[in-house]
Amino acid sequence: MTVFEPRIVGFLCGWCAYEGADAAGRARKTYPAHLRIVRVLCSGRVDPQFVLEAFRQGADGVMILGCHPGECHYKEGNLQALKMTAILKKLLGQCGIQEERLRLDWVAAGEYGKLVKIVGEMVEKVKSLGPLRLREDGGGINSALTRH
Amino acid sequence: MARIGIYICECGPHIKEAIDLGQLQNFGQGLAQVVFAKSIPVLCSPEGQEIIGKDIRQQRLSRVVVAACSPKEHEDTFRKIVRQAGLNPYFLQIANIREQCAWVTADKQAATDKAKALLAAAVKRVIQHEPLETQEIECQGDVLVVGAGVAGMSAALLLAQPQRRVYVVEKSPCIGGKAARHAHIFPHLECGSCVLAPLLDEFLHHEQIELLTLSEVQGVAGFYGNFTVRIKQQARFVNPAACVGCGLCLEACPVRVRNEFNEGLEERPGIFLPYTGVLPPVPVLDKKHCLHFRGQHCQACREACPFGAISLADQDRLQEINVGAIIIATGFDLFDLQKAPQYGYGRMENVYTSLELERLLDAAGPSGGQVLLRNGRMPERIALVHCVGSRTARFNDYCSGVCCQYALKFAHLLHQKIPGVSLIHFFTDLCLPGKEGQRFANRVLRLPGLELRRLPGPEALEITAAGGKIAITYQDGEGGGEGVEVDLVVLAPAMEGARNAGEIARIFDLPQGAGGFFTEESNRLAPVATARKGIMVAGCAQAPMDMASAIAQGQAAAGMIISDLTPGAKLALEPVTSEIDAHLCSGCKICLSLCSFQALSYDEVDGVAAINAVLCRGCGVCAAACPSGAIKAKHFSDRAITAEIGGLLSDDRF
Repeated sequence: MTVFEPRIVGFLCGWCAYEGADAAGRARKTYPAHLRIVRVLCSGRVDPQFVLEAFRQGADGVMILGCHPGECHYKEGNLQALKMTAILKKLLGQCGIQEERLRLDWVAAGEYGKLVKIVGEMVEKVKSLGPLRLREDGGGINSALTRH
Repeated sequence: MARIGIYICECGPHIKEAIDLGQLQNFGQGLAQVVFAKSIPVLCSPEGQEIIGKDIRQQRLSRVVVAACSPKEHEDTFRKIVRQAGLNPYFLQIANIREQCAWVTADKQAATDKAKALLAAAVKRVIQHEPLETQEIECQGDVLVVGAGVAGMSAALLLAQPQRRVYVVEKSPCIGGKAARHAHIFPHLECGSCVLAPLLDEFLHHEQIELLTLSEVQGVAGFYGNFTVRIKQQARFVNPAACVGCGLCLEACPVRVRNEFNEGLEERPGIFLPYTGVLPPVPVLDKKHCLHFRGQHCQACREACPFGAISLADQDRLQEINVGAIIIATGFDLFDLQKAPQYGYGRMENVYTSLELERLLDAAGPSGGQVLLRNGRMPERIALVHCVGSRTARFNDYCSGVCCQYALKFAHLLHQKIPGVSLIHFFTDLCLPGKEGQRFANRVLRLPGLELRRLPGPEALEITAAGGKIAITYQDGEGGGEGVEVDLVVLAPAMEGARNAGEIARIFDLPQGAGGFFTEESNRLAPVATARKGIMVAGCAQAPMDMASAIAQGQAAAGMIISDLTPGAKLALEPVTSEIDAHLCSGCKICLSLCSFQALSYDEVDGVAAINAVLCRGCGVCAAACPSGAIKAKHFSDRAITAEIGGLLSDDRF
C-alpha cells in the first residue's frame, strides 16, 4: 500500500502570508512539500469557486492565509475572506467534503514560525482524513462551477 | 498558440543543490506550448538578463516563465527585461522555486516534484495572461488644504510652486491655528509668535497660496487627480485690500461679547481682531452680535473707518475649485470638560484649561501676561492636573503625548511669573518622549516649590470649592485618601479631533477612530494617507501630537502629492485593477458595499456598477464576490487563477 501524500493548495495574500512563506524560506525552516501556493493580492480575492475548483482538480485540502484582522493592506479584504469561508464550509459539507479540509488563518509577514506550524498541522489533518474522494458528479461541485 | 520560454535559475548552489534541475528542465520542456526550458546559473545577472532578451527577439517568444526566487525579489527586474525586448511586461510569470520550494523542503525529490507543480502552474497561468497597459489621465496639479494651522500652512508652503496653486480653506478669520496662540513653546520655551512669524509671514504673502478665511468646504465630488470642491466663504464685511488695521472701527463698536479667540477670558466688540498680533490683521464683523444685523440702525464701524474698508452689504460667497489632491489639517479641540464634573471646570472660577492658561501667560494676551485670580490676587498655590479625560476607559483611552511637557512648561513659566509660588503636579505617569523631553523635565523638576503627587489612575481626584479656595481630594499611590487646598487649578484635557470632525468626515467620506481623529491608511507605513486616495490627513487631525510632528506631517503630505501630481503632467494609473463587464452586471450592488476605497459606484442610468480605475487598488474582493462573474480582477483573473490551480494539481501524471 502506498503512503498517502496529500496535495494542498494554499491561497496566500501577497502582503502578509506570502511574505511569511518567503520568510520561512529565507530562514531555511522546512515544512512538508504538500503545500503548493497561489499568490493573490488579497485573501478577499479568493472566490469560493477557486476553492471548489481546487477540490475538483484533486486537492485534498485548501488553505487561505491572509493578514491578521485590522492589518489588511486593503482594509477589510481579509474579513471578507472570513465571511466567505464560513459560508463555504457549510457548502463543502453538502458536497461531501469535510469542512476541516478548508482552513483559513492569519499569518503576518514575519510569522514564518506560525506558517510552518499551521502547514504541518494541516498536512497531518488532511492525512488523517485520507484522500478526498468526490462522487462521480463531483459531489455537486461540477454544477457549482458552471461559470468556468 | 503561445510560444513560451522557460528560464530556470540555478541561483548559484541555492536552487541547483536542492532541486534536480535536469528533471525539472526536461519536465518543463515537455509542457504544452513551451518552446524550450533552460537552466541559467544566475538569471538575474546581466548575462542572464541578456539571454532572455535575445531569446524573446530571436525565438519570437510570446510568453516568459521564470522559475527562480520569489516574485517579491525580481518580478520588476524580469518585467523590465520582457518589456525592453518588446513584449508586454505582464506576459511573464514567476514560479517561486527558491523561497517556497528549495529553501523549505528537506528531501530533494519532494522538492523536485513540488518545483514541477509550481512550474506547470506558471506555464498554464501565463498562457491566460492578458497584456496590461499603464494608462495615464489628465489631472489637476492644484491642491486644497483644509485648515491653516501649522500643519496646513507647512504643507501649503511646500506645495506652492510657480505651476501649482494651493487653496487653503480656514474656518476662522485668522491663520496659525492654536499654535499661534501659545506664548511659549516647549522644550526650549521660545516665544511662540517669534518661532512662527517666518512661517506665517511667508504663508500669508505667497503668490501661489490663496487663503480663504471664514470658509468651509460644503461638498466634494470626483477623485484623485480631479476633485471638484464647493466652498462657502462667510462675509468678513471688511475689505482686506483697503483696511490698514488701524482699529478705529473696533473702538467705535458699542457691542461687547466674550472673545472666543482668547478662550472667553476677555470681551471684544462686534467687529474685532481675534487677538493681538493676529494675521491677517484685518478685523472681522461678527454678524450674530452686530446691532446692524440685529435690526438696529447702527453703522458706527462703517462711519468710523477712514478708508471705506467696511461694507455692511458684503455677502457670503459660494465658489467651486478644481484640485488634484486634498490635505485635511483641521487640528484638534480639547476634551469637553462638561462631561467630567469632577474637575470642577465651569463651576469654579479659578479652574482653567491649558489653552486658557496659554492665553493668560501671553504678554499680548487678555491679562497682559499676568496670571491672577479672578479677585485680582496672586495665586500662592497652583495645581496642575495631568491626563484629564485621557488614559481612561470612560473618556479617551489614549495618551495625548504632549500634556506632560506643556504642564512642565507651565510650571516653569508660573515659577518665573509668581515669586515663591508653590506648584503641585497631579499625574499618573510622566510621558516625556523624544530626544529632549526627559532633559526638559529634569530641568523643570528641580525648581523649588514644585511637588509631584502621583495618582493610582487619572480619575483618582476630585476638585471642589472650599470657601474662597479650591479643594483637591485624591488617592495617593497606596490608595489612601488625601486632600490639599490650592488657589488655582490648571487642567490638561485630552486632545480630541476638532469638534466638527464628524461633519468633515461626512463631507470627505473619511473614517474616524479614537477621539474623532481621522484614520490614516496605515499607522506605520502610510500615516498621512487615507483610504481615500488623494486625500491626506496631517497634524492633529490625524492624532494628538506636538508642533514639530504636525509640521512634519504637513510636509510629508505635501511631499506625497508633489512626488505624484506634477503640474501639467498626466497621472499614471496602476494597471492591475478590477474591471466590470457591463453586459454581465445585474446591478445587484453587492460589490459597492465591499470596496474599502470608494472605487465602485452605481450607474443609475444603465443600472450597472462601474469601477473608477483611479481609485481601485486591485485587491479583487469585488471580483470574488460578484455573483454574475461580471468583475474581472486584471492579472488575477478567474481564468488565470483557475489555470494556476490546474497546474499545481497536474502532478498525478508525473
